[in-house]
Amino acid sequence: MEEYHRHCEEVGFNAEEAHNIVKDCVDGVLGGEDYNHNNINQWTASIVEQSLTHLVKLGKAYKYIVTCAVVQKSAYGFHTASSCFWDTTADGTCTVRWENRTMNCVVNVFAIAIVL
Amino acid sequence: GCWQHLSGKMEDYQATEETTFVVDEVSNNVKEAIESAIGPGVVAHAFNQWTTNVVEQTLSQLTKLGKPFKYIVTCVIMQKNGAGLHTASSCFWDSSTDGSCTIAFGLSI
Repeated sequence: MEEYHRHCEEVGFNAEEAHNIVKDCVDGVLGGEDYNHNNINQWTASIVEQSLTHLVKLGKAYKYIVTCAVVQKSAYGFHTASSCFWDTTADGTCTVRWENRTMNCVVNVFAIAIVL
Repeated sequence: GCWQHLSGKMEDYQATEETTFVVDEVSNNVKEAIESAIGPGVVAHAFNQWTTNVVEQTLSQLTKLGKPFKYIVTCVIMQKNGAGLHTASSCFWDSSTDGSCTIAFGLSI
């Protein structure tokens, strides 16, 4: 009998794909930079805008929320948490943690499936 | 009455390690107790618990509104120490129905 492989439709949010997209954006914006009070607002805005643009370009039926926090490195930590009330079968999230010598960056992507 | 009775008998006891206040031993015990009660690990855990509590209680309050919305709640807590914290967010959604709000909350610590 001929083996029949069904082409599987992607179900749910592809967190790995989103992770790679966001990580590339952060690398591109913060890579090689030191924490700089004058540029930081522009950097965080660029990270969320570029990430969002790339995610939307995937052409999938999702609404997206991208948040980014950048903290100057110090002796103290910073703590984040998130909680979501949504459809756990269709919606999803991914978090990218990035750091260099002078700063920590955390980017969250929340994807809400659009049900037509 | 009991205490006086005991002190009256003090000269009967031999001075041994068991009846002598050992400063180093007690100091170590106290340090361990402080560490386990409010040491760095405990403080970090407290911060984690706070962020968790904030998002969970916020989400609970929002869902109680009984409105047909999905919700995403995020929280960042950082100790005030002069280091900069910057945040940004960007959304791709239905601007006629969807929305967001951001609360900045400062404590004196």
